[in-house]
Amino acid sequence: MQARRRAVRERPGVVVRRTPLIDERLADVVGVLFAQSVKLRYRGSALGIVWSALSPLAMAVVYASIFGQTFARFYGGSVLLYGAAVYIGLTLIGFFIAATTECSSVLVQNGGLLNKVRIPFEAFPLATVAAHAFQLLAGSVPLMIVLSIAMNHDIGHALLLIVPLASLMMLAAGAGIFISGVGVFFRDTPHLYELATFFLWVTSPVFYPAAIVPHRLQQFLVYNPLYPILTTARDLVLTPSLPPLWLFALGLAEGALALVLGIAAFAAMRGRFMDHV
Amino acid sequence: MISLRGVRLERRTREEFSDDFKSRFFALLARRARAPRRKLVLQDVDLHIAPGEKVALIGPNGAGKSSILKVICGVLEPTAGSVDVRGRVAPLLELGAGFNPELSVTDNIILYGVLLGLDRRTIVSRIDAILAFAELEEYRQYPVRALSSGMAARLGFAVATDSDADILLVDEALSVGDESFRAKSRARIDELWHEHRTVVIVSHDLALVRSMCEKAVWIDRGRIVAAGPPGEIVDRYVRAVDEAAINALLRARVDA
Repeated sequence: MQARRRAVRERPGVVVRRTPLIDERLADVVGVLFAQSVKLRYRGSALGIVWSALSPLAMAVVYASIFGQTFARFYGGSVLLYGAAVYIGLTLIGFFIAATTECSSVLVQNGGLLNKVRIPFEAFPLATVAAHAFQLLAGSVPLMIVLSIAMNHDIGHALLLIVPLASLMMLAAGAGIFISGVGVFFRDTPHLYELATFFLWVTSPVFYPAAIVPHRLQQFLVYNPLYPILTTARDLVLTPSLPPLWLFALGLAEGALALVLGIAAFAAMRGRFMDHV
Repeated sequence: MISLRGVRLERRTREEFSDDFKSRFFALLARRARAPRRKLVLQDVDLHIAPGEKVALIGPNGAGKSSILKVICGVLEPTAGSVDVRGRVAPLLELGAGFNPELSVTDNIILYGVLLGLDRRTIVSRIDAILAFAELEEYRQYPVRALSSGMAARLGFAVATDSDADILLVDEALSVGDESFRAKSRARIDELWHEHRTVVIVSHDLALVRSMCEKAVWIDRGRIVAAGPPGEIVDRYVRAVDEAAINALLRARVDA
């Protein structure tokens, strides 16, 4: 990857000097694209945000009524606790999948614009992830905080939620940037990515407890990048004992690594984008 | 100031695209994988435009005129050569290209303005002036899809020409809207013209090139054929086109 990047960046004999157009003001561009995306989603009504919190809630109710009795014994015999665990898992993995899936086609969809104005490419995936993050923070996180306070009778657990949430957002941003670049070269990326997200979904202990997975497979669940983040967040809300420190650290490290790798891969690809969009 | 020196631009050809995993995979299996063919779009382009100069690019379709504009505004980077552009560049897009039909007129002005390189604060402070010029004050909160196409074009023109860019790139379409707005847009173009701004225009309107530009650059097959005073260059270009047409006609006769 290193070699390819050099070839694109330091093409022999190319000297480009120009007064920066908007690359220096990436924040402004991300800002307007973010506002556009959020406005389109909610059409100016706060009900949209409530809806985004309600739909995983409805799904959690369905899961609880079907699997609740079977899995309650892993949650101290409480179907309610199982439902709450499903809700938390659903909103978090739902955010990751929705944000990165939208990223997989975002550059191609804006190809017309990219062919006319010089816009920093990364503004598109970043704004997409930011819009989904806004939805998560405004819609579902308040409910998680209330739940955490109700379960633990203190606010410390809820405050610590910021760590898994930040890890998840970095992970989504890194993956989103990467997949948006891949989507430029391969138009069927969204289809294949759908398959990948299904795999991610079933290998994440969201609607089933990790304990029911056969022992030999269980050790592999840890390699699911969402595993430490989901586990940390769920434990912070539902159990009085704090999750181990290494679980927090692992999530953060994953997020940071995804961001660095995503940006590096994007930088290596961007030189060839305009031949494809 | 714009200075292109020895600019060469190669791009992948469109028909070679096998832009998905599936076909790439099968091509690999069938051992048909090969390096994509590249097409030479521009070569040896040397172009120097002084600040405030009004320059027209003329030539047949597919000659590379729009590609030169894209290199100037940074949408495309050259394969070789050097590009030096000083000053803020604003492309005058095909009007309304950046609009989102579902958003309100005001939101679209902000979006379009930021994409054109203005900072958010500046564009917000100019919303009223832009709406007034486009004569769309009462449509402020309407979604753009509720506007007629003429109205959308007026809005696009108003935003694009409101920017205080040093260099304006114009790809055809100088006047839009109905008769009364057309006069107004002409007046604004004249105004822009007389300010000390650099304008690079791609046009097939040779009368306009003759009357309004200070320099014409004739481009054919990715190269600069000639550059100089617009009267002279346009005459040479027209003569060449005529000769080619006559030759084609003669050849057709002979073949028949």
